[in-house]
Amino acid sequence: MITKNEIDSFIEKIPPAPNVLKETLRLLNVGDLTKAAKVAEGDLALKSYLKSIVNKPIYGFRNEVSDISQIFGILGVSLSQQTVYNYMVNLLSPKKWTLFKLNAKLFNELQANLSKKWEEILKHLHIEDKDIYASISLLPASIIVTEALFAQKKDNVNLLRTSKALDYNTILLRLCGASLFDICEQIARKWEMNQVTFKIIQAASGVNPSNIQEVNNLGKWMHLLLFYELSKPEFIEAGLNDFVDFQIEYINDIYDEFASLMEIQ
Amino acid sequence: MRAVLKNSIATFSPQGFLDGNNTNSFLGIDDVEATIQLKTDMILVSLKKVVFFNKNGLDTFIKLFSQIRKKNQATVGFCDYDLKKYQAIKKFYHDEINFSLFKTLEIAYLFSSSFKNQNKNVLIYSSDRSQRSAIAIELHDNGHNPIVAQTKEEFNAKKEKKDTFDYAVDSTFLGQMGQKIATRVTGNAIIYTISMFLDVEISDKFNIEYHNNSLNVGFRLFIFDAYKVISMNVHALNFFSRLSSSAAEYNATICFVGMKFDKTPMSFKDTLEDSGILFYEQMDDILQNKELLKELGASSAANVKNKRLLNKETVMELPNFINAAAVTLEMMTNSKAVKEAVSVHGLTILNKEGKVASSIGYYGDMDGMVILVFPLAIAKKACELLIGESTDDLELILDSLAELVNIVGGKIKTLLRDEGISVNITLPRTYQDVDSLLEVIENRKGVQVDLSFNGDKFQFFLTR
Repeated sequence: MITKNEIDSFIEKIPPAPNVLKETLRLLNVGDLTKAAKVAEGDLALKSYLKSIVNKPIYGFRNEVSDISQIFGILGVSLSQQTVYNYMVNLLSPKKWTLFKLNAKLFNELQANLSKKWEEILKHLHIEDKDIYASISLLPASIIVTEALFAQKKDNVNLLRTSKALDYNTILLRLCGASLFDICEQIARKWEMNQVTFKIIQAASGVNPSNIQEVNNLGKWMHLLLFYELSKPEFIEAGLNDFVDFQIEYINDIYDEFASLMEIQ
Repeated sequence: MRAVLKNSIATFSPQGFLDGNNTNSFLGIDDVEATIQLKTDMILVSLKKVVFFNKNGLDTFIKLFSQIRKKNQATVGFCDYDLKKYQAIKKFYHDEINFSLFKTLEIAYLFSSSFKNQNKNVLIYSSDRSQRSAIAIELHDNGHNPIVAQTKEEFNAKKEKKDTFDYAVDSTFLGQMGQKIATRVTGNAIIYTISMFLDVEISDKFNIEYHNNSLNVGFRLFIFDAYKVISMNVHALNFFSRLSSSAAEYNATICFVGMKFDKTPMSFKDTLEDSGILFYEQMDDILQNKELLKELGASSAANVKNKRLLNKETVMELPNFINAAAVTLEMMTNSKAVKEAVSVHGLTILNKEGKVASSIGYYGDMDGMVILVFPLAIAKKACELLIGESTDDLELILDSLAELVNIVGGKIKTLLRDEGISVNITLPRTYQDVDSLLEVIENRKGVQVDLSFNGDKFQFFLTR
């Protein structure tokens, strides 16, 4: 159904980070928001993306924010870097979604929701590491990878899934020995992201816990956050709720804290 | 969200959080309609991967359950929960639970009339005495041996002795159960349990499709366990007479066991006997008598008088049937299936040793049966995607082989539908050796295709 060659070919087609973005990220990394904004101005698509994201209701700004230096200023270094990575992931998304009933707006909505809530979680956990902030950007890449690999096999996969409750990650792992999250790791490596980002993503898969306690703990929060978002009607209807398996035992010890933070009653 | 169908139970498995806002998104009208069409014994929502739910969330499911029950007499409810979730549901609904709760999906299978692993020893406990009895009766009717613990302490003590039971059932609640007649399979005989007053409703409660499929796949002895029947009216009499006549076309036998005629006219017995139905006092009179079983057709499923030949329609669609099998095997093994030889004759298996098989029937605009025969090692390989690990557990391999042939059946249905041909598929059947397969299809002619993937060979056989 899906071969290792197809996965390799998909990874090969992922472009490295464009120079403008690399330079923007480098400047953000050293905390120079003004210069980073100037460089980012050169990429009109990035500018438009940043505007559309930060003006979403979840960011809670009363007036429209349109200037990049203003956006970077409001977001701060960590969130600006995270948003640029969100943009890079967004570039990988297909023009037309087939497997999932998604569109660019809904996908961006998911990115924004995940990012904003990840920020809340990291604040709650008193974590300020920029790379840990950026790690959430990689999570929706797993959805793009699933779409890219399985869209042409939709009918067969649906047939398989009426006989056995198999998620896409398990199917891929059993067929090719590589998981969706391994592919996300490859993307992160290609974009030269810090290794903590993909270590958290691997743990957030729920099936590949990290032996580094902090990373594993963050993986649990991210795994639960993912399913908190994927339980929203629009994402259930998009077919995302069961694209990967929710590992309920994995998140058991942080659930109460998460529920209290998200005010779940 | 689409349901996963196994052992005639359709299961929905939402993940994450369930509340009043999202439940409708999990189970839309289309999903409900598609599930009703499946004509299952049960429709369940698994709570295994639900970390949070509230009453509003469950209420929406329960409304859908009631719609389903109106259209289809299936048992509906929830399964796969821990004690905390079970207690929460009981607290939400107090004494107004009109749906069922099964601690695990495996426990739910015990109550399904299509569960093939019957005759299990089942340890039961419920703090509610009427539930204890209801569970025991349902399990008994489904061919299991209930062991009822009267107290929690007794249950826990008995649970320690793991070799004395196959399943332990607690934290389970039977709401309105399905109205369908309980069915169990013993060897090559099918036993239906009927009770109380048999009237015109018998034709709704009796799963005629299951019965016809059983005839199609080779069952020849059907026993009605009628110990608990109080009386029968003329509508039921006509129903059984018709059933017997149609069974005769397949040379099948229908028997009644334990039926008393104190409140049913004796003339009914004569009418039923005239239509070919046999009467016995005890179940063991049949099941323990090998000679009689042979005579009645249950020791061999091959004595079909009306053998049906492959027709033009079937041959025309042959590429679709082969394609369905090849595509499924390709999907499961990630390798290319190659057609090696095609011939029309009875099924020929040169080396029967160490081979397993599975079959699935289809009926509707066309009818017939697809059979796949594999060396055990190849079957294991073909099922690796479904099993996920290497195993020598024959029961697990056969179970997965049933899922595999079910996927082949689903593919056939889709491919034929694309050509405007409407068929339904039967439940899959597996055979742990070639001889038991040959008992079912002996002498039937069909198209045999030898296929191979990565050099591993298996046989595809299409017959009617």
